[in-house]
Amino acid sequence: MLKTSISPHIHSPQNIEYAMRNVLIAMVPALLASVYFFGVRALWLEIISILTAILAETLMQLLLRKPVTVSDGSAAITGLLVAFNMPPNIPFYVPVVATALGIIVVKQLFGGLGHNIFNPALVGRVFVMFAWLPEMTTWNVPLHPDWIRHFNLFHINLDSITSATPLAVNKLQGMSALVSQFGSKTQLYLQSFLGNTGGCIGETSELAILIGAFYLFSRKVIWPTVPFVYIITVAVLTALMGQDPLFHILSGGLFLGAFFMATDYVTTPMTLSGSLVYAVGLGLLTVILRLKSGLPEGVSFSILLMNGLTPLIDKLIRVRTYGKQSKRGRDHE
Amino acid sequence: MKHIKIRTRTFLQGGIHPPENKSVTYEHSIENLPLPKKAIIPLSQHLGKPALPVVKKGDTVSEGQLIGKKDGNYSSHVHSSITGKVTDIGPYYTASNVKSNCIVIQLEGEIKRMNADKPDWSNLSREQILQRISEAGVVGMGGAAFPTDVKLNVPSDKKVDFFIVNGAECEPYLTCDYRLMMEKPEEIVEGIQIIKKLLNVKKVFFGVELNKRPALEHIAEHLREKDNIELIALKVKYPQGGEKQLIKAILNKEVPSGGLPFDVGAVVSNVATINAVRDAVLFQKPVIERVVTVTGRIVKNPGNYKIRIGTPLSDVIADTGLTEEPAKIILGGPMMGPSVVSLDTPVTKGTSGILFLSEKEEKRVRYNAYRSCIHCAKCLMVCPVSLNPCMLSLQGEFETYDQMTRYDIMDCIECGCCNYVCPSFRPIVQFIKLGKSFLKKKG
Amino acid sequence: MSRWNELTKGIIKENPIFFIMLGLCPTLAVSTKVIYGIGMGIAATFVLIGSNIFISLIRNFIPDKIRIPCYIVVIATFVTIVDYILNAYVQPLHKALGIYIPLIVVNCIILGRAEAYAGQNTVLNSILDAIGMGIGFTLAITLIALIREILGSGTITLQMLGYGWVWEVPVKPMTIMVLPPGALLTIGILMGIINHFKQKEK
Ligand code: SF4
Ligand code: SF4
Repeated sequence: MLKTSISPHIHSPQNIEYAMRNVLIAMVPALLASVYFFGVRALWLEIISILTAILAETLMQLLLRKPVTVSDGSAAITGLLVAFNMPPNIPFYVPVVATALGIIVVKQLFGGLGHNIFNPALVGRVFVMFAWLPEMTTWNVPLHPDWIRHFNLFHINLDSITSATPLAVNKLQGMSALVSQFGSKTQLYLQSFLGNTGGCIGETSELAILIGAFYLFSRKVIWPTVPFVYIITVAVLTALMGQDPLFHILSGGLFLGAFFMATDYVTTPMTLSGSLVYAVGLGLLTVILRLKSGLPEGVSFSILLMNGLTPLIDKLIRVRTYGKQSKRGRDHE
Repeated sequence: MKHIKIRTRTFLQGGIHPPENKSVTYEHSIENLPLPKKAIIPLSQHLGKPALPVVKKGDTVSEGQLIGKKDGNYSSHVHSSITGKVTDIGPYYTASNVKSNCIVIQLEGEIKRMNADKPDWSNLSREQILQRISEAGVVGMGGAAFPTDVKLNVPSDKKVDFFIVNGAECEPYLTCDYRLMMEKPEEIVEGIQIIKKLLNVKKVFFGVELNKRPALEHIAEHLREKDNIELIALKVKYPQGGEKQLIKAILNKEVPSGGLPFDVGAVVSNVATINAVRDAVLFQKPVIERVVTVTGRIVKNPGNYKIRIGTPLSDVIADTGLTEEPAKIILGGPMMGPSVVSLDTPVTKGTSGILFLSEKEEKRVRYNAYRSCIHCAKCLMVCPVSLNPCMLSLQGEFETYDQMTRYDIMDCIECGCCNYVCPSFRPIVQFIKLGKSFLKKKG
Repeated sequence: MSRWNELTKGIIKENPIFFIMLGLCPTLAVSTKVIYGIGMGIAATFVLIGSNIFISLIRNFIPDKIRIPCYIVVIATFVTIVDYILNAYVQPLHKALGIYIPLIVVNCIILGRAEAYAGQNTVLNSILDAIGMGIGFTLAITLIALIREILGSGTITLQMLGYGWVWEVPVKPMTIMVLPPGALLTIGILMGIINHFKQKEK
């Protein structure tokens, strides 16, 4: 029996699973960093989120009588991203609700992978942020880690003290308070870059995120345009507003957002010029939210807002077709 | 080689690098395949109207005899490829997987070698040359099968400045053009001279992809200064062999949408076609055979074979052998070639290769289980004409074909790059073809 | 039989909120506590019945061109009555519903029923239609309020002027559910579920 199909008869091995698997691999450094800085509790948060995501996706697809596609790994990514966006001492039900909401409502009810307008992990996070604001804005830093207890798998509770995130300190008390807290400016930059500050478990270590991001670039899974333009925009704008640009790009969820959430395939524009507009828009919104709103951080909101603009950007920004004079599609009619 | 300038060029937008797999047949020089016992010669081996049969059932025909006459200008003659008796004229499966009219000839009687005229073409007039090309039924042998006499008969109001020889052979697996360049450089250069005279052009570019460097060097040795042929080394990239991409790569000009290459003053021809033109003009030899790359991991004796037009695939298999049952047979390259349903499908003038895929290789492509588009934009990045294949496939999926014109569907060259990279295995090219045929029907 | 039909159609088959999608603004705004939902429902039902009766009574005297202003005058009368009664006797509810009581005047359900039904039907049918629609509206808004209150405040409030009960539900309250986004989410999901079953029926 000869089989026939349309051409082409060969296919690139880089299917959905390839991309998602690589994204998961790229998130491992950040995961390790989170466990290093926030103890085993971080690991548990991550495991629970991933399991919730997988379970929610399976149940939802069974319920909607669709082929079950959890094995492609996109649900696991959503779960892990939600966990990365949680403060270390959060009660366990918070990431569960966030993940379930993201997967069930934002992803599956919109039609599954590829049809979601918004990034499921971010909607989940923003939802729980407004649902349980006090829990979501209590930040803890580990207290003199006793390494054996720190890495004991069953030592779920964190020995920690509450402290504000650097961005909040900067907003409320100014840069000088922050510098004195860390000793010197260099220390501040260094500790922020390494991840030894208060914040969500996955976002503090810029170093780990960069390692994962460069892995993704080398695997050609994502392209560096959006993240770098985003970060540079933030740096330039904060400098213009009289803030310390280096501090701003190294703190908060900017790196996590730029490399892992603003590069999500589904919710970002497709053309190169479109992604430039998107990235600059992200930077603008982030800076406005960070400096001019009541919140210390604005990465999630900016990404969600720009997600909503993506279809419009895709519609308005076109590339000139080979052999056409203008960019408009109708000129041959 | 001092007088040869070799410049490396390529087109910038889009393109992919599929595994080449040319090594399977790279070193195999051209061999003759035995004559088929039965030739199934389609009356439509070219773009345009099918030829009209001029023989009846029961007629005896000899090799090279005209059996199908061209129907109007956009058509081409068809000749018998073997000596024998016409046993049937009727519909048979051809490469496009629909039955179309074929003339079946049973091998019979004596094989006469055709007499070779004294090759002297220098005092043939332009019309005589075109006449000979037309009579020999030469069509584009790179795959599109556009009647060559039509292509070379440039309207007098268009000015052609460049003739581009297409030796890119960008499709994976195929090596037949490479072998031609290696084994018949003189013939090809002579063919170029004929066309140069015909088109009255000053400048000829000869583009060869860098993975065929030996051919490049080999041709260089056969060029003389006054030929005014510039060799261009092309960076390997699919679909560089497409006319529009080749023009972009070599001249950095874009053929206007809906236009033809001579709108930018260029004519492009494939090396195999040039070889056929030379045979036609010099010896008045019709196209009754061509070099075909028979390849695939499961072929016992892969290679580049001279095969008579009309040879059914079963005969090819009998001569080259297979190690395992093929799951899919493709006429041409794997990127654009159609897969066939019947082993009786004949080799035609446009068949540049026969690729046998095993079960395992076939399994890697699963268009029937395609998934939702994840908007990864990979297809946009590889599309050589900067289309938005993602949008086109979505509109194909929802059958809103009218909308497709907004995304310049008619400019798609159906190269398959978008399909190749799509991580969701979406059959984008199929959607595009559906849309095109719908829009054409609507007019 | 058909009279019965006039009464029941508003409850499920043509439920103003889930099926015709009218009157969403008060639904979004006041459905933070069950009792507010019920209060709003009753107020709207009262206005609906009154205006339906009057409009169907005078339907033959209203010139076609100015019928909408006439409807509004009738509706506004009843809204004013409701407003004053609530203000006089049920102060806390009046405070909670606030501007949304005067806004009943432009509530699409009431104007819609006047235009689509009472303006063309007999008084008895109009009364039945108004009762059905009123019940449908009240049920829908109460359902939404129930979900939002349980998730958003962890209580079920059926208490007004010191009568009735308040139940505690063992749920960690989610602030977002009593904010406007919570209402949109709830209505959206309920509507999705209903549409899903509606499509299945076809
Ligand atoms: S097949 Fe068409 S749409 Fe796809 S890459 Fe080629 S030209 Fe672009
Ligand atoms: S490559 Fe496939 S999945 Fe990606 S945007 Fe194109 S059509 Fe969609």
